[in-house]
Amino acid sequence: MDRITEVQNEALSAIESAQSPEELQQVRIKYLGKKGSIQALMSEMKSLSKEEKPVFGQKVNLCKQAVSEAIEKAQAQLEAKALEAQLIKDKLDITLNGTKSEKGTMHPLHMIQQEIEDLFIGMGYKIAEGPEVEEDYYNFELANIPKDHPAREMQDTFYIDPNTLLRTHTTAMQMRELEKAKGQTPIKLICPGKVYRRDDDDATHSHQFTQCEGLVVGEHITLADLKGTLEFMANRMFGEGRQIRFRPSYFPFTEPSVEVDVSCPFCNGKGCNVCKGSGWIEILGAGMVHPHVLEMNGFDSEKCTGFAFGVGLERVAMLKYGIDDIRNFYINDERFLKTFDRFD
Amino acid sequence: MRLSYKWLSEYVDLSGISPEELADKMTTAGLEVEGIEPLAQGTHLVIGEVLSSEDVEGTHLHITQTRIGDKPEDVLQIVCGAPNCRAGLKVIVALDGAELPGGTIHVRPLRGIDSNGMLCALYELGVDKKYLTEYQCSGIEELPADAPVGETDVLGYLGYDDTVLDVSLTPNRADCSSMWNMAKEVGAILHREVKWPDYAGKADIGEEGTFRVSSATEKCSAFLGKVVNHVEVGPSPKWMVNYLHAAGMNSINNVVDISNFVMLETGQPLHYYNLAKLPAREITVVDDIEMKMTALDGVEFEIQKGDLVITTGGQPTGIAGIMGGEESMIDETTNAIFIEAANFDATSVRRSSIRLNLITEAAQRFTKGLEPLSMQKAVDRSVELLTKYANASGFEKTVSCGDFTYEPKVVKETLTHCNDLLGTEFTMDQVKEVLTWLDFKPEINGDEITCTIPSYRTDIERQADIDEEIIRLIGFDSLKSTLPFMEATVGRLTPAQKIRRTIGELMRANGLNEIITYTLVPQDYIDNAFDAAGDAIALAMPMSDAKKYIRSSLLNSVLECVQYNEAHQNNSCSFYEISKVYSVKGEEERLAVVFDGNLEEDKLHKIAKPGDFYAMKGLIMSMLKKLGFFGGRIQIRENTKDTVHFHPFRSAELWMDKKFLGVFGDIHPAYAKKFDLKKSVVYAELKLDQLFETRGTRMKFVPLERYPAVSRDIAVVTDRETSAQQITNTINKAGGKLLRNVEIFDIYEGEHVEAGKKSVALRVTYQAADHTLKEEEISTVHKAILDALAKKLNAELRA
Repeated sequence: MDRITEVQNEALSAIESAQSPEELQQVRIKYLGKKGSIQALMSEMKSLSKEEKPVFGQKVNLCKQAVSEAIEKAQAQLEAKALEAQLIKDKLDITLNGTKSEKGTMHPLHMIQQEIEDLFIGMGYKIAEGPEVEEDYYNFELANIPKDHPAREMQDTFYIDPNTLLRTHTTAMQMRELEKAKGQTPIKLICPGKVYRRDDDDATHSHQFTQCEGLVVGEHITLADLKGTLEFMANRMFGEGRQIRFRPSYFPFTEPSVEVDVSCPFCNGKGCNVCKGSGWIEILGAGMVHPHVLEMNGFDSEKCTGFAFGVGLERVAMLKYGIDDIRNFYINDERFLKTFDRFD
Repeated sequence: MRLSYKWLSEYVDLSGISPEELADKMTTAGLEVEGIEPLAQGTHLVIGEVLSSEDVEGTHLHITQTRIGDKPEDVLQIVCGAPNCRAGLKVIVALDGAELPGGTIHVRPLRGIDSNGMLCALYELGVDKKYLTEYQCSGIEELPADAPVGETDVLGYLGYDDTVLDVSLTPNRADCSSMWNMAKEVGAILHREVKWPDYAGKADIGEEGTFRVSSATEKCSAFLGKVVNHVEVGPSPKWMVNYLHAAGMNSINNVVDISNFVMLETGQPLHYYNLAKLPAREITVVDDIEMKMTALDGVEFEIQKGDLVITTGGQPTGIAGIMGGEESMIDETTNAIFIEAANFDATSVRRSSIRLNLITEAAQRFTKGLEPLSMQKAVDRSVELLTKYANASGFEKTVSCGDFTYEPKVVKETLTHCNDLLGTEFTMDQVKEVLTWLDFKPEINGDEITCTIPSYRTDIERQADIDEEIIRLIGFDSLKSTLPFMEATVGRLTPAQKIRRTIGELMRANGLNEIITYTLVPQDYIDNAFDAAGDAIALAMPMSDAKKYIRSSLLNSVLECVQYNEAHQNNSCSFYEISKVYSVKGEEERLAVVFDGNLEEDKLHKIAKPGDFYAMKGLIMSMLKKLGFFGGRIQIRENTKDTVHFHPFRSAELWMDKKFLGVFGDIHPAYAKKFDLKKSVVYAELKLDQLFETRGTRMKFVPLERYPAVSRDIAVVTDRETSAQQITNTINKAGGKLLRNVEIFDIYEGEHVEAGKKSVALRVTYQAADHTLKEEEISTVHKAILDALAKKLNAELRA
């Protein structure tokens, strides 16, 4: 009997002193293996009497169970210890840079354009498109700028032949859309695009630039509607709380015509460098569609009215992001492009 | 225009309104004031008399004793460096603390000599040198002998106590370049009475004479002329000189000044001829001669057919509406004149003045168009002023040719229509007040307003014009903000707009930056266009050779951008641009993509994604897939379209639905050299219109496979020339319906592989929709594949 206790104590002490899973495995083999000490005890049973056998067997089993349990427990402990050691070994320098994941950037002019597009799509406008190589008829004639109007002078326009030119304003698209509508309302659209004028390129002038115009024609469209619409747009583009101000102006295709100022988003109208102390920045031209323009395009100017507005996207981007030279938009220096790499 | 505050106040009472306030109100009403500047400036000024002037030896200085008052202490010692400084002169003295445009005067000794102020030249008070004689510019101002010593309002004494507003006039308000009309406008803004000088009928004097005027061209619609048989040429009154200065014109003599002054008053350009120098007593306007002539400023000009020319006795004597001839110029010897007030065609005058580079005041006014009554006003006013200031007499009856009929325009508007257009709630009283101040003589009948428009408001033609007047003068502040109340419309992107956005998103997600390059390009870019649809469109009058053509492809613009970025050490750039290109055949929309270096690179984490041919191919395929174009619809073919700009063996044509879309691949090393490109650049230019017009394959869910797939890897050795497509096609054909996928995962050439051969490792995947595959099934198919590879491609299983 004592033999069993002896083996058990010996085993337990061996388990306790095992330092690694390998050592523990040796212990397991030594005591629980087929040729192990505990198995050897079982073989001793043969020499026992019939009565003694069950008692002995039971004791050996208890011993086996105790040793097994101790091994399991020790195993778990050793594994935990090994894992802990591994974790320490796996330690990273968390201050090293993460793997580079640079995404490309949208051109700032298109960022502004898309912002305007999304705003107006949300209000039920469509986005019109039209050719950059345009007919004189759409660029000027239908826009109430007849032949001999000073605005048509050669020095302002890139003519290709007497009837063809590079469009000087996105108004040409408005005219195409008005003509296409054949006198049917409602019309609600914006028309962004490249335009061209004979300007020498410098910090503030570019022979190629980008405009976005808007046009609404329907019954009972008012100048107050224009103001509300532009206020909406100003708030979207320059942040909530913008106010707008109309000043009388002149465009051949609108009457009344207005210049639109937005309260300066940089100083909140208090006066700063950007607004040159005035508290306002001039940003848009707008007006009620000239009745003659409506008539030329087949609309009854007694029945329908409309408003139109236009904005230069370079100017908006330059104001918004503090860009000092318009040529940056077309040079495409990667450092410039990478400036516009985030949510706005 | 330059608007003199003082001159304006001759017609409209400006008391209580500073130039700044006036400027604000004008700007609010649509006459934008861009600048305000005093005609001359200076504080602590006084008129003095030089009692004595002693030269300081060895210098250009004089020590003066200058009297600035009657008391003994009013004699100051002032040192002056002007050569004309001498005893007896009446001078302008700036005292200690005087603020002059050039700075503040502080009393301090000059070269050790006490000096208690400064004797001034007019330009030192800010008077523009262009209005001063050379003598005036070279020394101190010499005031008249009767100038009152001790007078401290020196600017007032000089007539320079004026402020000039720089007003930017919109093209429709050319009427305001006349002082009289500007006064009416200001009166309407301020609600103040406007008084024009009494001019009407002043020219209705004189006996019938023999002088005749006529026009041989329709481009002179009307001509008024008047002979003045006696004038005395001399200096102009000081006030007139000052007003001319304020307006930006110089004084010449009283007669010429009157012609300019009346032009500024009425807006009508005038020309006065020296009557004695006209070879005949007749003037004919013609537009069909070619010759050289010398104009007023002594320069010779080439007259062409189409230029309006004033002739007398068959000889040209002036370029109509632009400049008179030298021969008949008014000078000190002139004692009789002929007055011309005519209406010349705006376009003709504009064209001639631009061609001859003679953008004169007169030409600018003709260019903007005249009002119908200004000719008569100008002749009337000329008679009045010539009589008063040039002792004119011997007037002959006014002669004329052309059409002078004039009916005032009548425009009707209703209050309802006005408020409907503006979205306002103006009352009839408000509206009537505005229109009355504008001199539109509104007659109210119920809701209807009938306006009789003054002759000079040529811009007012219809209801909307009246409405604009109403709102701009009542003010836009009263305008509410509303949104259009109309039938609902759906706002959405067109397929093309969606596709553009999708491509952009995908490009940016892959690290590419969007660029926008110029449309106008040089000849060389046209000669080297990629797949131009037709001949390039050239500008009629390019500004430079570099911007001569409208581009027919994006290739060179994009390579120029890469070149710029390489030159600026912006390494590993990749860009895309979507733009239209043009040719005589019409417009096309294209996508350009360029890689210059690695697409991704991180040395620390040992990552490098080369921007090579395969990266480009992968990007394009994933773009097309995203748009719904994939599988059999897409074909890659050998590049036969353009091997000049592309590497002949590292580029490919892209086709979709049997239509050519474009080429992608390495830029030809020889062409890259032209742009000094350091690295090998990979480029793609694709036509987008076909993608816009074609529908992509729609997304549809296919039930997930229920039985497992089985993969087998094989490695075969084939000829080096055997393409991946040949291998996969062969396998696809032999594989039957159990074959699901073939993927090449390794290509190997070198050791253990015979020269001229390559080893291709493939993973072949089998699957059945309705059962788990059995080993025999797979083996049968797999064997068929290996047999086909061996038979068709001479590809053997690698040992």
